[in-house]
Amino acid sequence: MRRSIIFVVAAALAFPGCGTGLGGEGIGFGGYSLIRARSVEVGDGSVVVTPTREWNRVSSTWSIDDIRAVEDWTLNGSSLDSLSFVTGLKGGRYIIRQSKRAAQQVPKFRSDMTAPEVTAMLESFYRVKAGTIDFRTIGLSPRQFMGYPGFQFDFDHLDTDEVWRRGRSVGAVIDGRLYLVLLDGTRSHYFNAALPDFEAVANSARLQR
Amino acid sequence: MMLSRRALLAGGGGLAAALSAGVADARILPSAMEPLIGPGYKPTDRDEIGLWQQMGRVEEELSGSNLLIKDPALNSYLQGLIGKVGGPAAKDMRIYLARIPEFNAVMFPTGFTVIFSGLLLRMRNEAQLAGVIAHESGHFLRKHQIRQWRDMRTKTDVFAVLAMGAGVAGGAAGVYTGDLARLAELGTILSLFRYNRTLEAEADAMGVRLLAAAGYAPNAMAETWDQLIRELDTSAKYRRKKRDRGYSLFATHPAPESRMADLRLSARDVTVPGRVYDDGRGRYLQAIAPIRAMLLDDQVKLNDPGASQTIIETLAIDGWNGLLRFHEAEIWRLRNRAGDDTRAASGYAAAVGYGDAPPDAWRWHGVMLQKAGRAAEAKVAYSRYLAMAPNAPDAPYIRQLLQ
Repeated sequence: MRRSIIFVVAAALAFPGCGTGLGGEGIGFGGYSLIRARSVEVGDGSVVVTPTREWNRVSSTWSIDDIRAVEDWTLNGSSLDSLSFVTGLKGGRYIIRQSKRAAQQVPKFRSDMTAPEVTAMLESFYRVKAGTIDFRTIGLSPRQFMGYPGFQFDFDHLDTDEVWRRGRSVGAVIDGRLYLVLLDGTRSHYFNAALPDFEAVANSARLQR
Repeated sequence: MMLSRRALLAGGGGLAAALSAGVADARILPSAMEPLIGPGYKPTDRDEIGLWQQMGRVEEELSGSNLLIKDPALNSYLQGLIGKVGGPAAKDMRIYLARIPEFNAVMFPTGFTVIFSGLLLRMRNEAQLAGVIAHESGHFLRKHQIRQWRDMRTKTDVFAVLAMGAGVAGGAAGVYTGDLARLAELGTILSLFRYNRTLEAEADAMGVRLLAAAGYAPNAMAETWDQLIRELDTSAKYRRKKRDRGYSLFATHPAPESRMADLRLSARDVTVPGRVYDDGRGRYLQAIAPIRAMLLDDQVKLNDPGASQTIIETLAIDGWNGLLRFHEAEIWRLRNRAGDDTRAASGYAAAVGYGDAPPDAWRWHGVMLQKAGRAAEAKVAYSRYLAMAPNAPDAPYIRQLLQ
């Protein structure tokens, strides 16, 4: 119960009693496809990254989440680690599909959001959609992303499966659109194991116009 | 028998059906509610012994969960409350506080109860909380779990028995054992512990009686009920839908309005005219003080504006303060509709006018001023934030804004 944006939605669907269920949108898990250690377009194609190792891309063909701006990768399965991209998300859009009637909702992105607002939106995503019970910001500091002034957001979260996880997101709002890369993994091992690879991906990201 | 079965079905699925059927049970009187167990109760029948063994494992798992709020002072305060309203079993019952932002409490058949942190957020005073605990105690004192289990078996209601059996077996097999919040989310626990309306009415009447015996205003339970109904209605209205049954134990019961009416009448039965009742508000606020900001935070960040607004306005009946004003502004910021940015901005501005405004109020006040192009004032607010919380995790980001 939780994980990358796509996984979480799927999990919510798998348990129809779940308070965060999306009310019948979509069909369930898709497969994985191989990402090779070379330059690749992610999300809506506006960002190119160059991973230094192979990853598994969570297929969006079968995914319930058809938001083009969002893409998820994993190394060991999305309940252990996940790497998510948000690329060129426009103001007024959401980072996740959700029912307009759901009582609890992830706030929509606005093109004038500052870093504290973007990170608060991510926190609500975890609390509303990923079953997070305890969310702690570890750090928010300025960091360049794709050559633009952005932020680095570090956080810990305890989820309903009683596992502590850690996350890091590097991102920026560029011309009113949101771009970010987000690593999330179990705090006891998988986050640290994937961190160097995440940094390589984040630092290699470039905007493709 | 027909009635009992229909009530069960209504509990399982159709609030609307129960309402339209117009089932009008006579109110159960508090005076009729004698506890069915005494101090130190232990089961002697085979089926109940089996149930207790399973529940022993559930409790063992649960007591080690890292989702519990372990604050010793708060836990001993809650244990003290169950001591006050627990009737003959006051010394036998155990209470656990789980960090789950929902209005809920569950009594397990062996006499341990789980209070959700969202319940503590919503209570205005000790009397209200004691009322919920008294209701839960009522389930234990009236042996509801085993009575319902036997009732279902005699009716050979195959589906109900299967559902119940699956729940109990699930505990043994570790399917849900210890995974506390998943229980809450998946409604597993509700299917296990959903009592029929007669048993709920009994627990209400028993609760009112216990509450009065402990010296609390017996009407506190009806007040709580009224708050919950308003919250569910506002939440649903915001999302343009009808109140759903939700995942709250209380919300799943048929006809909340009629239940509230019964609670009011029962309270009147046991209220002593001219007596001044203490609502214990001071004690209550002191007990939850260490976690009150966290409780508000956990609720507001769920971005359920209707529910959050009702909760905050209910708490503010007893007076506004910086903490409540700050979280009210948070609701608008996260709601994020046209005009909400302005509303949030003035909310933060109002919050920082209170001496007890949390540091975060100054940070967000700064963000809003900055976005409005009032850079100099924003810097003042940010500086105030950093002075109050120099080691805040986002201090590096905020310091950069001051340069």
